[in-house]
Amino acid sequence: MSIATLELDLDVFTGPFDLLLTLVLREEVDLLELQLADVVLAYLDHLHGRGELELESATEFIVLLAALLELKSGLMLASEDEQPLEIEPEQAAEELMARLLDARRFRAAAGHLGELLAREHGVRFRAAPLPAALRRTIVRPADGSEDPRVLGEAIGRLLAPPPAINLLHVAVPRVPVAARLEHLRRLLRGGVFSFDEAVRGADRMTVAVTLFALLELYKRGEADWEQSRNFGEIAVHPPAPSQPAAAVAGAGGLAG
Amino acid sequence: MSDSAELARTIEALLFLSSDPLTGEQLAEATQSDEQAVGDALALLHERYAPGRSGIRLRELAGGWTFASDPAAEDAARRLFSSMRISALTPAQAETLAIVAYLQPISRPEIGRIRGVSADSAAATLLERGLIEQAGHSQFGAVLYRTSTQFLKLFGLRAPQELPDLAQWDPSPDEQAELRQRLLRAGEARARSGAAPA
Repeated sequence: MSIATLELDLDVFTGPFDLLLTLVLREEVDLLELQLADVVLAYLDHLHGRGELELESATEFIVLLAALLELKSGLMLASEDEQPLEIEPEQAAEELMARLLDARRFRAAAGHLGELLAREHGVRFRAAPLPAALRRTIVRPADGSEDPRVLGEAIGRLLAPPPAINLLHVAVPRVPVAARLEHLRRLLRGGVFSFDEAVRGADRMTVAVTLFALLELYKRGEADWEQSRNFGEIAVHPPAPSQPAAAVAGAGGLAG
Repeated sequence: MSDSAELARTIEALLFLSSDPLTGEQLAEATQSDEQAVGDALALLHERYAPGRSGIRLRELAGGWTFASDPAAEDAARRLFSSMRISALTPAQAETLAIVAYLQPISRPEIGRIRGVSADSAAATLLERGLIEQAGHSQFGAVLYRTSTQFLKLFGLRAPQELPDLAQWDPSPDEQAELRQRLLRAGEARARSGAAPA
């Protein structure tokens, strides 16, 4: 099944996932109001219903969601930029003062130049240049530049075809969810760990897939987490034995 | 003494031939003598061309020595040549020239930032008059400007470093304190009026 047809029932939108994407791109749905964590939960529900993890569609989902997250974070930053600059009056006064003093100095310096020019009134110099034939060149060639070997090497470097550009690094990175699940399970066996620890040094894609894997573990009741504040450290630990599946509200802080 | 007099005559001829200031080093090399002897000869010439003794003056300008006309001849020179030696600079040109003279090498955007308005037109005119010249590019690719030999000659300077210290035009500490207070009051008033509608 393609991820496009995933049915969503959210606060700001009800319908298939591909329609949501279209509306977001047309700005008919405000991305800032859209809780992307709810989309993730809907997808997890969908996975749960199917009872199996389809890697193709899961990867597609992560890529799309990552794009949405990037777009949303961009929007959030942009709105911060639009706010008026917070400058203390003292700081503004100091900056203005520095500029005023600079302008004042150079205005005075300009006045001084005017005085110099007036002092030199009536002083003229020979304006006729020496005929070219009588002039002796004073521009010495740069060191070694007249050496044919140096010139040959220089032109040779230009003529050599450049090395073929290696495009290996632009291959779409593939991070299997299964590997990340295994990674998290291994860490869980050691007890409590922080999410940052689990993704230390990893690229963005791996971080996203690890998060996804964590959600999966949570859903299966294999892991639980604490996050004291939004964007704070996420402490992951095995679930308390008596505790059934925890409230899903925690996911909002994780993804939003 | 006669050696020095002969060297002075040779140097006099070289200065007459050259339209650019000649350095002591150049004169020493051309006359195959040491700089000390050149210095003595120049002192002799300086005396010979002292103000009031000749229509020509020996000037030390732009890092070298050059002949210049006696200003007393200016009226006659203007009748003969019909053109001004240099037309007056507009305030914008003078300010731009001052900024280049003190901060060289400097780019146009940087001059504009200091003046608060674009310096493009003023810089173009100064460039056309030969008072400033290009001096390479900044790391961001902007053309850098410096003052020219022509500038030093026309303004009677040996080197840009001869210009007085900029700080001498700073307001007194009292004036600065008052200015700062005025700015602060204006800033606070503005912050209050700006905060009200929000």
